[in-house]
Amino acid sequence: MSQPVLEEQFEPAAPESAEVARARSSWELFRVRFMQDKAAVAGAITIVILVLLAVVAPLFSRLLGHGPNELFDKMRDPVFGLPKGPNGEFWFGADGVGRDLFVRVLYGARTSLTVAFVATGLATVVGVTLGMIAGYRGGVTDTIISRASDIVLAMPILLFAIGIATVCSVTAEGCLGGLLQPGLSLVIGIIAIFTWPNMARLVRGQVLSLREREFIEAARSLGARGGRIMFRELLPNLVAPIVVYATLIIPNNIIFEAALSFLGVGVPQTTPSWGRMLAEVASGQLFTVAWWMMLFPGIFLLLTTLSFNLVGDGLRDALGPSERS
Amino acid sequence: MMGKRRQRLRLVGLALAVAMVAAACGGGDEGGDGGQQAPAAQKGGVLRTATTDFGFTNGFDVTGEYLGSAFTLYGALVRTLVGYKHVAGAAGNELVPDLATEIPQPTDNGLTYTFKLKPNVKYAPPLDRAVTSKDIAYAFQRINTQPLAAQYGVYYFGVIKGMDGKAKSAATKVSGIETPDDQTIIFRLEKATGDFGFRLAMPATGAIPEEVANCHKKAGDYGRFLISSGPYMIQGSDQLKFDTCDAQKPISGFDPSKKLYLVRNPNYDQATDNSRTNYVDGIKIDVNTNLDDIFQKVETGALDTSFTDDAPPTLLQRYSTDATLKNQVHQNDGDRTWYITMNWATPPFDDLNVRKAVNQVMDKQGMLQAWGGTVAGEIATHIMPPAVLNEQLKADYNPYASEGNRGDEAKAKELMKQSKYDTNKDGVCDGAACSNLVMINRNVAPWTAMEPVVVASLEKIGIKVKARELASSAAYTTIQTVKNQIPIALNAGWGKDYPDAYSFAAPLFTKEAIIPTGNTNYALVGLDQAKASELGIKLPSGAQIPNVDADINACQEKTDVKERVTCFVDVDKKLMEQVVPWVPYLWNKVVVITNPSVTKYEFDQFSTEMSITEIAVSNKETLS
Repeated sequence: MSQPVLEEQFEPAAPESAEVARARSSWELFRVRFMQDKAAVAGAITIVILVLLAVVAPLFSRLLGHGPNELFDKMRDPVFGLPKGPNGEFWFGADGVGRDLFVRVLYGARTSLTVAFVATGLATVVGVTLGMIAGYRGGVTDTIISRASDIVLAMPILLFAIGIATVCSVTAEGCLGGLLQPGLSLVIGIIAIFTWPNMARLVRGQVLSLREREFIEAARSLGARGGRIMFRELLPNLVAPIVVYATLIIPNNIIFEAALSFLGVGVPQTTPSWGRMLAEVASGQLFTVAWWMMLFPGIFLLLTTLSFNLVGDGLRDALGPSERS
Repeated sequence: MMGKRRQRLRLVGLALAVAMVAAACGGGDEGGDGGQQAPAAQKGGVLRTATTDFGFTNGFDVTGEYLGSAFTLYGALVRTLVGYKHVAGAAGNELVPDLATEIPQPTDNGLTYTFKLKPNVKYAPPLDRAVTSKDIAYAFQRINTQPLAAQYGVYYFGVIKGMDGKAKSAATKVSGIETPDDQTIIFRLEKATGDFGFRLAMPATGAIPEEVANCHKKAGDYGRFLISSGPYMIQGSDQLKFDTCDAQKPISGFDPSKKLYLVRNPNYDQATDNSRTNYVDGIKIDVNTNLDDIFQKVETGALDTSFTDDAPPTLLQRYSTDATLKNQVHQNDGDRTWYITMNWATPPFDDLNVRKAVNQVMDKQGMLQAWGGTVAGEIATHIMPPAVLNEQLKADYNPYASEGNRGDEAKAKELMKQSKYDTNKDGVCDGAACSNLVMINRNVAPWTAMEPVVVASLEKIGIKVKARELASSAAYTTIQTVKNQIPIALNAGWGKDYPDAYSFAAPLFTKEAIIPTGNTNYALVGLDQAKASELGIKLPSGAQIPNVDADINACQEKTDVKERVTCFVDVDKKLMEQVVPWVPYLWNKVVVITNPSVTKYEFDQFSTEMSITEIAVSNKETLS
């Protein structure tokens, strides 16, 4: 798939040489540069495949005839309750309770990717908005927002997470009128709460330098108001760093969900999650007899985070090569 | 007022909640000496063990301490008027005189008990004096003091005259306890109490010397100053200076975060004791937070055994399937029931048929496998473990039997059809009350592993739960707070305090036991409108919550063991058939792994931990 790209890269002038040299749009420039990064392209392809697998997970479950939570006694040892390994019917073996690990790993992709996109998206929206306001307004507003983000970063995140999970578990509705429910939505909320400050800091720094530039001066002298300047003038110039940074925090957030689930404050038993699967195999030295329970979720987790990291690096290089040099 | 706890690393659960009962296991020693020539048990050596965490609930202060592993240590340190032989099975559940010369018959229609003490029992150094009846009376004064009170103080409050647990100082005498001379103690009771003997075997009632303990006025303080009356003492006990309170420094052999070392008490006279053999010369318990390291050391012989921590199933499998290691696995009855509770005050569980249907549909075999297979225990079919009912009611009484204990969906649906929450009578609950039910669970194995089994079973009859997984202590606190009105919970277990059914019946099912926080009558059996308003909760309209107070009290007054047990057997049956507070699913075993250096393994049935005084080792180590 990357072959044509490479050709284009090495012989860029050939098809166009007949024409008058024309300026490439920034999108074209980005595309060409990104395609040059083989690792990033491979990462992007892997992500697409993972997303596809996550989407079609129910299809697999229908083909195999069982869902992620169906229990199979034949996959467990009756005396010690230990799980059995991969075979023709259960490709990835069984987990500690006798569920099909293959189906669970596929469904686990849904959990991880949901967390990755939703939590990162939330953190980005909040972080960018607050960062822009802080950077553009300055003064007291800046102080308040910057200190608030300092406070959030100083909070003991795991204690906080455990506390919220406990408090929200007592009623069926959860907390904040059902907005925060123990499980996926709580995990997403917690991750978003603790990730936005980094984004806000980044954006604030960029805005501080941008706001002194001539085009902002021009907009201001034309009578544009703060909101317009921020969202119409500043934001387009921030897209590159925001996209790069968001892509790079996605793997962190996936790991974060895994860590929360590992510690038992993440998603419930019945929601497949790679972090939870790893936690399960780590307890009681289960990995000494059930290597498959560590291998498969581990590989998927590694592939996902690695791919996002590679894509993030590629985006950074493609969007702002000057920053690199 | 709760079943004493056993600590378990994997299932860790120590904390604030009174009833926290962590798990585990016990039973007839199935290891045996099969084939291999085991050296004969002989005296000497040091029992070398390690634990990941002592987890004492009250700093090892005998007045308030409530941990099973502490109880087995008290068996070697604190002598009570009556006690147990520190062995496994029925023999270990039988009362024998310890400080007392004999177990007296009560007089005055069961209201007065007069004990005579053996004359030659002496405290360990530096005290070196004889144990007197006043030391026992003083222990009760401590139990009766508000800041020191034992969690199981309810076994004495309102039972012994003058005891209510509200005294301000431990110096205050209890009016119902008299000590006419150093060898005699008389208890005067408010009401006849058939299991009073068992209550006098609880460690808090053992001899405590006032001249040392009066300096320790806060809960847990006396733990590091404990003066032994038993065969062993804390190492360094003889160095304690007690002329003034300020002169008292914690005994060197006990540091709660590092170690507890015991050595022989030089003042102990074996002739005064019929219930202990005292093989080893010393006991070393070190704190080692690395569980894997502990079991590796047990295997290599650097340790003789682990102390309270359970071996992971993977290790159990390796030991049990290896002919040379098989004999090193010891399995004993835990005398503990694990159960799912259902709250009578929350729909749909205000309908008896729904409660029965849940019992009928539950896949208990699946739960047992998730817990760790048959090595973990036996499927529970009723509320009280057979041992506390003198084996009069065992697993063959199974009112909700199903093939292979997998749950019977068809029968369960028949029961569900009779419920008001199944409006179209198809055997599947269709009322709104059956969905979105919060089910509290713990967030560690094996509870998390059982969760999918329970969720799947409940779904068969249309009950849809939202499982909430909390840390062990938070899970207990949540279900013990009545106002939370948790409909169903999977985290609870209850162990006997002493081998009488009362310690299972009263705290769990009487109306009196329902309290706003720290409540252990999770099902709210006996709740009525008045009590509900007092607690600030709503009673579902038309709810007819059964009350078993009269049944339990009738049994409690009986002093004849046979009649008493028969009576409690009926209570258990009534609970299972007409009240249905729980789905009992497991009577667990306590599984201990030892090194071959342990030449004689013994289990203490009272504390459901290994027996300190009856274990023999072949090593020649010394503790100086």
